[in-house]
Amino acid sequence: MADLLEIDGISAAYGRIQALSEVSLKVPEGAIVALLGSNGAGKSTTLNTVSRLVPVTKGRIRFAGEEIQSWASHKVVSAGVLQVPEGREVFRDMSVRENLDMGAYRRSDAAGIRRDLDRVFEYFPKLQERLQQKAGTLSGGEQQMLLIGRALMAGPRLLLLDEPSLGLSPVLVQQIFAIIERLNKDGLTILLVEQNAAIALGCSTYAYILENGEMALEGASAQLRQDDSVRRTYLGG
Amino acid sequence: MAVFALPPFPDLSIGPDMDLQLALIFLQQGIASGLVSGSVYALLALAIVVIFKTSDVPNFAQGEVFMAAGYVALYLFVFQKMPIWVVLPATLVVAFLAMALFRRFVLDQVAKSAKDLVYLVIATLGLSYVLKGLVRRTGFGDTPRSFPALVPTDSIMIGQASVTMLDLAIFGTAVTVMAAFFWMFNYTKTGRAMRAVGMNPKAAQLVGVDLRRCHMLIWGLSGVISAIAALLISPKILMTADMGSIVMLAFAAAIVGGFSSLPGAVVGGFVIGIVENMVGLFISSRAIVLAPFLAILIVLVLRPQGLFGGKLTIKKV
Repeated sequence: MADLLEIDGISAAYGRIQALSEVSLKVPEGAIVALLGSNGAGKSTTLNTVSRLVPVTKGRIRFAGEEIQSWASHKVVSAGVLQVPEGREVFRDMSVRENLDMGAYRRSDAAGIRRDLDRVFEYFPKLQERLQQKAGTLSGGEQQMLLIGRALMAGPRLLLLDEPSLGLSPVLVQQIFAIIERLNKDGLTILLVEQNAAIALGCSTYAYILENGEMALEGASAQLRQDDSVRRTYLGG
Repeated sequence: MAVFALPPFPDLSIGPDMDLQLALIFLQQGIASGLVSGSVYALLALAIVVIFKTSDVPNFAQGEVFMAAGYVALYLFVFQKMPIWVVLPATLVVAFLAMALFRRFVLDQVAKSAKDLVYLVIATLGLSYVLKGLVRRTGFGDTPRSFPALVPTDSIMIGQASVTMLDLAIFGTAVTVMAAFFWMFNYTKTGRAMRAVGMNPKAAQLVGVDLRRCHMLIWGLSGVISAIAALLISPKILMTADMGSIVMLAFAAAIVGGFSSLPGAVVGGFVIGIVENMVGLFISSRAIVLAPFLAILIVLVLRPQGLFGGKLTIKKV
């Protein structure tokens, strides 16, 4: 399968602190690829370089064949790369409906937007019930659903999911990951950043492990699950 | 700072024995005059708050933008003898461009090299001096002038308050402009993006808002609102290069309203205008200068978040 996203030897820095050095990874079209690692390993930074919030100092990023490492962030969104950020980054004082409308900010095809809104309600019936509620008053799980729904409203080709399990109860984590797998079955390519390695390796086909801004390990998820060092460090035995 | 408070009577206020009849007349006059000067404060407060909400920066050059816009209009109309239907849109366009370009080429540059917001605030102070300096250099500000009134200034009575057609035009235009702005901010796609940027700039970028363009638009519109305020009030006052100092009253209005609430800024503007006129009529015209600060003090003691501010929250850093 062709690679939808290809990160080729990118480096990035915050001031003098080197955050990523020569990181490479590939996400084939239609796959779920996991990017694992401990806190501060550079997982979110990697996603932010793709979303063009963090500049790269070296290397190339290709999406659907085009080099995007010097694009503006809104252009990347128009091309279909949507990040679902960690940490409840909803528009708090807006209603759920307005948040979803913001997701479609760069689109003007009313019929397509309408169709995607119905699709979001299919995945997340709860959002439809809370349409007029302020996003800031939703529970943690509902906010996570809203974030995914907002990204879906942009009509994405690639979803960059940043720690979707963060701060959620095990039951909610199950629900969210069930939906992630459903989205993938329905044709969406996903790059998944997680600290919860067990669940991420469970739903992905291929995985990368970052350590201190460098790629430490990669392999098929099924194999990494059997790997002794991975079991010790990331799976708790 | 008392330039806009125009006590219609000589200072014959005072006295516990001021009779009820007179007090009622004063009351009506104070409200009428207060709504007129208040509409200018409200416009400027709106211009300040919309920037603060989205950029977290109090723009200390707002008064000078207001002043400079007044002089642009004066220059085109009085010195270049251009027709008014050219002067009005030209002034608004100049104000829009000046603010949008300042945002793009000064603030974005400063923000790139310095993370701290203080530098941006200092940059707005810089702009205020540049504009004042420019106007002083042209020499048009040397003699205080008035912009010719476009609406008759004949008095008419509303109840027992005396106002002019010009006053009514000022109030009516200001309210219309504010209503149009609210509509844009709350019910259009562009306005929604502006609110999104104010709430969460990162999330706004992640859904594809062009942050730079959005900020330019906001600063430009804020310039337009200030220019409208200048066009409205300049027939009533003597213009000088220092007339921008009335921005203090707009800041007072913004604080009274809660500083991050647009309706709050508008209500705050009218409150400050009315308080100022009441103090002038009932106490002394010499006390007018104190009125806005008194209003701030009272509001902040009784309701620290301002009249329209949300619950007090601690911002995460």
